[in-house]
Amino acid sequence: MARKEEPKIQANNDLEKKIIEAFEVFDHSGKQVVDVREIGTILRSLGCCPTEAEIQEVILATENKEATGNVPLSNFLPFMCKVMIQHRFYPATAEMLLAAFRYFDTEGRGYLSKERFTQLMLEEGEPFTQEEFEEMMQTALDPVTDTITYEYYINQLMVCILLIRFK
Amino acid sequence: MFSLTKGCGCVNFGGRRTRSMGDDSSSCRSSEIEQESPKKLTRRVLNGDCTMKALAPFLRFWKRDEVSMTKAERTMKAAILIQQWYRRYLARMEVRRRYTWTIFQSIEYAGEQDQVKLYNFFNALLSHMRDTTGRPSSERTSRTASVLEQVFSEESDEGGGVDETAPPKSARGPDIEFPLKRKDIDLLIEAFRKKKHRLHPKHVAQILKEASQTLKRLPNINVATTSISSQITICGDLHGKLDDLLVIFHKNGLPSTENPYIFNGDFVDRGKKSLEVLLLLLSCMLAFPGGVYLNRGNHEDLIMNARYGFIREVHQKYKHNAERLLKLIENVYRWLPLGTIINNRVFVVHGGISDTTDLDMVKSLERDKYASLLRPPVAEGTAPGAETIDKVEWKQVFDILWSDPQTTGGCVANALRGAGTYFGPDVTVRFLQKNKLSFIVRSHECKPGGYELLHDGNVITIFSASNYYEIGSNKGAYLKLCGNSLERQFVQYTAAVSRTRRLTFRQRVGLVESSAMRELHSHIVMARRQLEGTFRSMDPENCGFITISDWCTAMEQTTHLGLPWRMLKDKLVRTDPETRRVRYMDTFDLSANKFGRKSDTQTVAETLYKNKQSLEAIFKILDKDNSGYITLEEFSEACQLIGKYMPNPLTQEQLVDICRLMDINKDGLVDLNEFLESFRLAEKNLHEEDHELAEIQAT
Repeated sequence: MARKEEPKIQANNDLEKKIIEAFEVFDHSGKQVVDVREIGTILRSLGCCPTEAEIQEVILATENKEATGNVPLSNFLPFMCKVMIQHRFYPATAEMLLAAFRYFDTEGRGYLSKERFTQLMLEEGEPFTQEEFEEMMQTALDPVTDTITYEYYINQLMVCILLIRFK
Repeated sequence: MFSLTKGCGCVNFGGRRTRSMGDDSSSCRSSEIEQESPKKLTRRVLNGDCTMKALAPFLRFWKRDEVSMTKAERTMKAAILIQQWYRRYLARMEVRRRYTWTIFQSIEYAGEQDQVKLYNFFNALLSHMRDTTGRPSSERTSRTASVLEQVFSEESDEGGGVDETAPPKSARGPDIEFPLKRKDIDLLIEAFRKKKHRLHPKHVAQILKEASQTLKRLPNINVATTSISSQITICGDLHGKLDDLLVIFHKNGLPSTENPYIFNGDFVDRGKKSLEVLLLLLSCMLAFPGGVYLNRGNHEDLIMNARYGFIREVHQKYKHNAERLLKLIENVYRWLPLGTIINNRVFVVHGGISDTTDLDMVKSLERDKYASLLRPPVAEGTAPGAETIDKVEWKQVFDILWSDPQTTGGCVANALRGAGTYFGPDVTVRFLQKNKLSFIVRSHECKPGGYELLHDGNVITIFSASNYYEIGSNKGAYLKLCGNSLERQFVQYTAAVSRTRRLTFRQRVGLVESSAMRELHSHIVMARRQLEGTFRSMDPENCGFITISDWCTAMEQTTHLGLPWRMLKDKLVRTDPETRRVRYMDTFDLSANKFGRKSDTQTVAETLYKNKQSLEAIFKILDKDNSGYITLEEFSEACQLIGKYMPNPLTQEQLVDICRLMDINKDGLVDLNEFLESFRLAEKNLHEEDHELAEIQAT
């Protein structure tokens, strides 16, 4: 919509355009500002794979110093360009993901029990919220055996991601 | 922090390389993994997995983690890796959800904007017509009012006047008695839910009449108190979603003095059961005195209803009585209070405020003047004793019904909706201080979770229609204010749970997305001419491809929808992988596989259908007495006026000709069907001209 106010930041190249567009999906006011809580989603939607701790670092580095709680594009864009050029937060490969699952599968059975996995995801690492967890279980859990057959699940996840990318 | 360089590459690495990586990590003190791996070996062989392949990521995974890695740390790292991955996947879904949301919202607001533009134009038109034609003075003041009261009293005199033309089978509808009691409400709910029999039109009329009598006695800003009930429930937009209303009643109980409700406007339009929602709310108000407070919303307006479906719904449900019922409904609208104040502390209003909102002025104006906000009582020009519309007063009403909050300071015109304002936190604070209020509860905007807190919690948005844009698009919510402190408690819900629950996030997003893309596509097709022109101008060599940037620019300039075109690109057009250029004619291609819809070409009928909403609205405005007919006189006046603003004014003869043409059945009146038909013909001619032009160029 035509909401022209202060001079807006214009993109100089395709990388910047991509970043600005991802940013603007979350910019509700049209003033090139987003809520700090959206930063994680924006980073991830740009293909990055940061940890929660790393997201906090990004927020600290880009947050509006006068009015905390939001991140202006003027801070985010240069920071993000650097991140993407340096391939920071580059996602682990599917094999790595598989390795992580296998690490928990100490007996090498090819699956994890629901209880074990629940405990791991809700208590270890950067624990999932209940909502995130339930969402994951909807696809990850095999309802018949009540287990997580992780190789199958990873494949599904990969297909989804490929579809998103190439559709 | 272990960082990932150049990916793991286990697939590429041969045995030798993997071995060397094993050497890398040989300094690792605890090597449980390595010890474990031989055990796995046997199993992996069965899967066709080579040992080294299975092993490599493990080693790689721990490679950087030095000597001191404990088991707990490894567990943590592995957990984080899984979580990190999954969160990225979720985020991608979230982005899709957000932009489909943007599509719906942009298209929705673009419609509202059109509507406001129309009113601007026709309002000028109508006031001008008044000046030039000099109608009899008896009709001069507040014309809709006089017409309404006339019809209203006629019907009361006749008693059962409404039902004579009613279809006989509707006599089997629910048998309610007046004054309405609890048992009648149960009957109504039962009947509406099972939708077996329609409520008899005479009952409909009776509910509407009694409701407007009751509403009439209320002040502009209604006063609610929790002194008896010690709690109150506030519901936002329902938009004809009866299921949501029934869910609320089911969860929270029927209204009563002990369980009061405020319904914050937008009861009708969009949903299929607008009439039922409206009637149920009004009946509850009548049956449970002190249990229901109703606020007016921007959709409690017949001109909005002409575009957003309520009028069509009434016509479908009560073929023979629609016009009479609509007049009664309009009378309900005009008497709906504009807002409610709870315990002198909470201001509940449909839209919001502006920096000029003055509660004293809102309290003292005559709200019944605004039968429709989009067609206010027209200025009578120079006529003596004429009632002129007070622009300031009118803006007061507009602002509280149409505004949205914004996160930045100040107060600007609401360009997105075309009416009302965006008000910032500073405006809110000033308003609350001046009026000694604690906070504002408003509706008017659909939110994914059904509610939202803004301006440090000073502004609460509450929206009660779940699945508003599409199944799975959003939850509905209501707000309970409890105890003396008016503690806030939000309750979220989704109607028709059975169908939505089993879908995963991805499926829900997919569903909403394809529906959004269909909506978007119909918008694109409407702008096809212009878009195609722009594309071609960007493609001087006529190769059929333009750059991605050009394509995005063209899309935004033409549609003004403010969408993330770069992200949507892959859903609309194909891109050449080598040149990174867009095959732009794909934009108009409604191919079957693109959004899972039967492939069909844009027909004249479809174009007409898309414009029908606008046309109906135009008709509604021209048809000043809501008779359902435009007289030839009315239409020629309008044409003459339009003529004055056109570069090549038509002659009187041409005008009469057009009017005659539109009056297809030659009864001297143009009804809605004739009106629409004439546009269809005009549109068809246009298409044929195009076609001819193309043929000429081809030869």
